[in-house]
Amino acid sequence: MSAAPALERPQVVSHAQQALSYTVFDCKWVPRSARLLCLGSAARGTGLVQLYELRGARLELLREIEKPKPIKCGTFGATSLQQRYLATGDFDGNLNIWNLEAPEIPVYSVKGHKEIINSIDGVGGLGIGEGAPEIVTGSRDGTVKVWDPRQKDTPVANMEPVQGESKRDCWTVAFGNAYNQEERVVCAGYDNGDIKLFDLKSMSLRWETNIKNGVCSVEFDRKDINMNKLVATSLEGKFHVFDMRTQHPTKGFASVSEKAQKSTIWQVRHLPQNRDIFMTSGGSGSLHLWKYEYPAQRSKKDSEGAEMGVAGSVSLLQNVTLSTQPISSLDWSPDKKGLCVCGAFDQTVRVLIVTKLNKI
Amino acid sequence: MPLWLREHHWHQTPTAVFLSLPLRGARATPANIFCSERYLKVSIPPFLFEAILYAPIDDTNSTAKIGNGNIFFTLYKKEPAMWDSLTLENADKEKLQYLRENAVLKAQQKAKEETEAKKATKEEHKKYALEATMKLEEAERKRIEDLKEKERQKVTEELELWKNQQKDADKYKSVQKEGELHQEIGQLKERKNEKMTKTRIPNEGTSKSRPKPTKGHASCSIFSPNVKEEQLPAPRSAATIKVNFTPRVFPTALRESRVAEEEEWLHKQAEARRTVSADLSELEDLKEEEKNPDWLKDKGNKMFAMGNYLAAVNAYNLAVRLNNKLPLLYLNRAACHLKLRNLHKAIEDSSKALELLTPPVPDNEGARVKAYVRRGTAFCQLELYTEGLQDYEAALKIDPKNKNIEKDAEKIRHLIQGTMQGS
Repeated sequence: MSAAPALERPQVVSHAQQALSYTVFDCKWVPRSARLLCLGSAARGTGLVQLYELRGARLELLREIEKPKPIKCGTFGATSLQQRYLATGDFDGNLNIWNLEAPEIPVYSVKGHKEIINSIDGVGGLGIGEGAPEIVTGSRDGTVKVWDPRQKDTPVANMEPVQGESKRDCWTVAFGNAYNQEERVVCAGYDNGDIKLFDLKSMSLRWETNIKNGVCSVEFDRKDINMNKLVATSLEGKFHVFDMRTQHPTKGFASVSEKAQKSTIWQVRHLPQNRDIFMTSGGSGSLHLWKYEYPAQRSKKDSEGAEMGVAGSVSLLQNVTLSTQPISSLDWSPDKKGLCVCGAFDQTVRVLIVTKLNKI
Repeated sequence: MPLWLREHHWHQTPTAVFLSLPLRGARATPANIFCSERYLKVSIPPFLFEAILYAPIDDTNSTAKIGNGNIFFTLYKKEPAMWDSLTLENADKEKLQYLRENAVLKAQQKAKEETEAKKATKEEHKKYALEATMKLEEAERKRIEDLKEKERQKVTEELELWKNQQKDADKYKSVQKEGELHQEIGQLKERKNEKMTKTRIPNEGTSKSRPKPTKGHASCSIFSPNVKEEQLPAPRSAATIKVNFTPRVFPTALRESRVAEEEEWLHKQAEARRTVSADLSELEDLKEEEKNPDWLKDKGNKMFAMGNYLAAVNAYNLAVRLNNKLPLLYLNRAACHLKLRNLHKAIEDSSKALELLTPPVPDNEGARVKAYVRRGTAFCQLELYTEGLQDYEAALKIDPKNKNIEKDAEKIRHLIQGTMQGS
């Protein structure tokens, strides 16, 4: 990589970092602020939520909340901008919604799963999208459940294995297609390489596929539009980008796949301000910034005249290695373009700035 | 004996001597010329020219020109003086010898010094080159670092700016809220005054829990979520979707790189399971070939060769059921039983084989030998050594040339003698 053209590309600048005394599993920006949350598990087996504020080039700890069970994942997706309640999933299968101003008692609590909740996502809050606020959780017990914070104890949708079927770990869940009040879709990725798309409006399985490697992370490029693109990352360093606009009756969705590195790709996150740019974080402690380019024609007719999607191409904009341990969590700030936080298994949380995103 | 070249011509100036040496047809190269301070030699085998010079010369600057069948020397004198002659005339042998050796030594020394000097300069040059490249690379690196630093600073400033904006926005929001509060309080007070109600409305409480914002507020849309709440749909009616997974035997996650290994393992497991149940299924459905004892015998042989003795036994059993007159079947089955250590059965089968192998003809010699040996082995393993020995000797009788049988027979004899002596 020669010097001059390389500097035209987006650079990933390390802005601040903080060494933590616990394992951090998830980090999230608090919407409409320069504050971020770190969720994780302390050595003594309890859960920790720490609230930091970005001050200059440092992170300053504002609050620390300890909970009895280690916390695996959290989201602000289903809460309003005023309330900014945090929904968390913990190692015991409990789904809790906390008011961070008064965190002693959760606003909503349910023992949703028998085993650890691996992944959580929320939709309908933060002024994004329309429809009821809902939270989806995916767990090691093989089920994916959708919750409405207004309904206690029972989920509004439950995707569970058929009787007698042996369960597979659900590793990741994501909402999508929430462009009006009725439509909503949940995508779930499992450890045996299955990706399933559930339509909540018709309460049915809309599409499934298997990408031959355990699925670590799925995300739609935007939750609140007609589903456009879905990125699924997996073990063995591969990720697939599916074009979700055209579903073929037998072939499903068109996709392009890329092998970025040898190690697991733990997370994918789309830039909130530009849905064609996304960042993947890897097991070798590296971050890769990608850009998706649409093909000339997004759909074409196959031999029987059915519409078939055409996948575009993905190009690597930048990559950087920050740590020797996997970077397990990644979050873009919805308020400042290019500001992101990532948490790695070397017990460090880093705030990064990606420059020159305007010029792409 | 070298041929001396004596036809040389020379003339001199105060500072130089010019010597011309004709070569009689010989070809000269610089390697043939040896020159030092006081000694000059040209040696082109078989020709030889040697001159111990009158006075020392400066051999580094002196030249020799080879051409036209001639070597032309230009020797620069160390001390400008006129020489009486080119060579030292009345020098005695020893002195000559000494001078010669000295010359050679000196020349060698000079050569050494020259090479060392060359090495030294070379190293210096290398060092210099290295330093120069290092400097260049450093400069390049620094340049990139500087650019990066600039980026960082720019970005940090922008971030600070944005943060301050956030703070201001927050302040604005809180100011706004207070503004709202004040307005509402004002309005309420007015109403209170108008209606003269007794109840005191806790102002702070109502303004927060008020479902609708009062008219006349100019609040940003994002700060009044109240309007939206009313339009939220009711929670979804609960439903379940049943899910089927792509089957996977292993509880671990699927990795492409491990698929080959896993397949192999599964295959092995399946194989193991299949061989156990093979025995039963064979009896159920007999294919055409399976009704042919010869085919079964072959199958049995194959199984035996593979080491699958149970399967071989089954094959032979089936064959025997079809045709119990074939001695080979029993013979082979005896071998299987031996391997399986079913010694009594081995004896039975060998005996049956031997029965069928009558009359003893040279044709069935091989088979009979085998039968005896097998039965003998079985007896010995049952510790019935005398019977075993009998069989071995019978085998030997048929085939006296077989060394193995002889050896084994010997062994058994020893064993018997040993036990007899013991008891």
